[in-house]
Amino acid sequence: MHRTIASLPLAPSVKTKLTSAGFDTCADLKDLRPLQLCKEAGISQEEALEVLQTLRSDDGVGGVNPLGGAGAVRCGVTALQLLQREHALGDIITFCSALDSALGGGVPVGKTTEVCGAPGVGKTQLCVQLAVCVQIPVCVGGQGGQALYVDTEGSFLVQRAADLAQAAVEHCTLLAHDHEQQAALKDFTVENILSRLWLVRCHDYVELLAHCYLLPDFLTKHPEVQLVVIDSIAFPFRHDFEDFSQRTRLLNGLAQQLIQLATEHSVAVVLTNQMTTKVWNGQSKLVPALGESWGHAATQRLILHWEGTQRLASIYKSPSQMEATVPYCITEDGFRDLAPPPSPGPSSSPGPSSSVPQSKRPRVEARPP
Amino acid sequence: MQNKKLARAGVGSQICERLKNHHVETCKDLLSLTPLEVMRVAGQSHDQSLQLLKSVSLGCAPKIIAAQELWLQREDLCFSTSLRELDGLLQGGVPRGTITEVTGPSGCGKSQLCMMLSVLATLPRSMGGLDSGVIYIDTESAFSAERLLEIARSRFPDYFSEPERLMQTAGRVHLFKELTCQEVLTRLAQLEEDIISCHAGLVILDSVTSVVRKEFDTSLSGNLTHRSNLLGREAATLKYLAQEFRIPVVVTNQITTHFSERPSSTSLSRRWNVQEAPGAQGERDSDYVTAALGNTWSHNVNTRLIVQYVDARLRQIVIAKSPVAPFAVLNYTVQKEGIRLEGNASKEMMSAQGTDPGLHQIRVRTGLDYRLTGAMVTTAPSTITAATYTTTTVGRCENTGV
Repeated sequence: MHRTIASLPLAPSVKTKLTSAGFDTCADLKDLRPLQLCKEAGISQEEALEVLQTLRSDDGVGGVNPLGGAGAVRCGVTALQLLQREHALGDIITFCSALDSALGGGVPVGKTTEVCGAPGVGKTQLCVQLAVCVQIPVCVGGQGGQALYVDTEGSFLVQRAADLAQAAVEHCTLLAHDHEQQAALKDFTVENILSRLWLVRCHDYVELLAHCYLLPDFLTKHPEVQLVVIDSIAFPFRHDFEDFSQRTRLLNGLAQQLIQLATEHSVAVVLTNQMTTKVWNGQSKLVPALGESWGHAATQRLILHWEGTQRLASIYKSPSQMEATVPYCITEDGFRDLAPPPSPGPSSSPGPSSSVPQSKRPRVEARPP
Repeated sequence: MQNKKLARAGVGSQICERLKNHHVETCKDLLSLTPLEVMRVAGQSHDQSLQLLKSVSLGCAPKIIAAQELWLQREDLCFSTSLRELDGLLQGGVPRGTITEVTGPSGCGKSQLCMMLSVLATLPRSMGGLDSGVIYIDTESAFSAERLLEIARSRFPDYFSEPERLMQTAGRVHLFKELTCQEVLTRLAQLEEDIISCHAGLVILDSVTSVVRKEFDTSLSGNLTHRSNLLGREAATLKYLAQEFRIPVVVTNQITTHFSERPSSTSLSRRWNVQEAPGAQGERDSDYVTAALGNTWSHNVNTRLIVQYVDARLRQIVIAKSPVAPFAVLNYTVQKEGIRLEGNASKEMMSAQGTDPGLHQIRVRTGLDYRLTGAMVTTAPSTITAATYTTTTVGRCENTGV
């Protein structure tokens, strides 16, 4: 009621006319009819109607809100409802059981996760692995969804995706026990996996921003998409800007949009970030790129880094999981656990993590037999 | 796409006029504003601004395709290097649409590799080539037309037995000598037109480092950022052209000395007792030679091949960063016909381990061999000066003070 006219999401010219006609707060406009407002403020009939509808939606009064979510007051949920919702959404596994358990099951659907790392450590491999794993059929313990891969660096090579898909198909075929699972796996082939992996190539930040404005429509049209990967979000924003404050504003806006996307459309958003060298007290260290304010953008942050020849994944920021560091490796089959040191003999590529269904949550057992 | 005028993107003329007063004329200008700024500039309500942004986005957003469409064209995803083991590891060869970097000490064979790839690109498809022109941007004056023809004659003696085929190959390699950063940028800006007019199927930039090193002194403040921005823009242009024309892009890089002040253990690894690789312990406090242009450039390239010395004759290619290949080491020598892989029978050269491609230690030549070669030798060769190459475990190297 005490909200000023100037803070309403209306066109500036309309606001100027209202204030010059003497209206200061929303309370002044209460109970006015459109024609009356039209004459008093000197605005058109459509504009008057828009003003009153904005007020009504702001109050939460009135039935259908034609303006969408702009000022609508959403009804709150209880923590119990939230818990049930999160359980229903599930996680996307990474085939590295150590990382999955550190993440509490996998990459959570409905939240944004950021993966930072030095060059060549495996960020793109993890992203492609997730894009394949999200498609694992539900009855074998997967999400059964589709994936959208936004490539800004050109690192997505379809032959590698095909390799990972092949390995995933073989792994799932080994796990299928009964007819139902085997029937579902008939559809899980390399060709089908690639046909459900949507790919966009953005060359600069303008294309990336344009694509993100259109993402809600795409996700509404393709409700099976459960994963959106942006690899990487750092590259287009790192070299085109002289004005860092503009970059920060755009990045913050983008972060907001992505969080909204994740919650409203129930998708997991995975962003890849690069590392930059920060010189501090004469020493240089590697920190995630895009600045300090970007650190608040994602809900969860993973940092992949090298220790000698070993690759490690650390959970750097998470509201629900403990900070942990786990080893992993990249084999020809994709992103996997580190094999225990073999007994003397020729080194072989370690097999994938033991069980797909067991690292999943109870909804597998809840299904009717 | 970003320079598209707003009127062509379907924005009404009245709004276009209003936006013009605020210097917002192209799609890029409009999309660089936040929705609140758009409200102010276009004089519209919040929802109308969002609609405006959406309609402009429709005009310049890239197309969404399914990965399967790429998979259907999978025969054409790579450019074969004619080095069988290397092609096998890279699953076909140099991938199209990406930047492949070859980095290493001087004299190791980077320019030789580039010239060999140029010859291969001009060959007909039946012989594994691209049957296209080559754009060779040379910043170090390392290109030699004589050597190009020698490689062609020695590598494919039957095909090039007719002299006009040699002339045709030589005529398809377009050389541009650029000696300053500004010249390189201008050339890259024009490259789109050059690729179309030359029917180029391969772009080589040899090297990306030399002009940048001449003009940027990274000890001065601000220069490091400026240099990174410049390199980022170059990489973005090359990637865009590589993607749009579906061609491979090869760049070469030099080496630099990395002054190591790494702490002995970071907090991230303390919780996990990592067995350190043998030989790595001793490296922690010493300086070593690694690829130049720093960490940011290591992110910008998609594939990194490091060439380094083993001894006087033998060199190695290390696949340090690749989206498809594991970390692998191949031995090679430089011969008349270009690069020849040798002695790569064992499979132990591959591993699922790796190292940070931005910090990988590179072995350089430490001594010179003054022994007489070939016909000049009349007596048993006596070592006039000590020929020393570090022949110990992988990872050790000597600092040549480059």
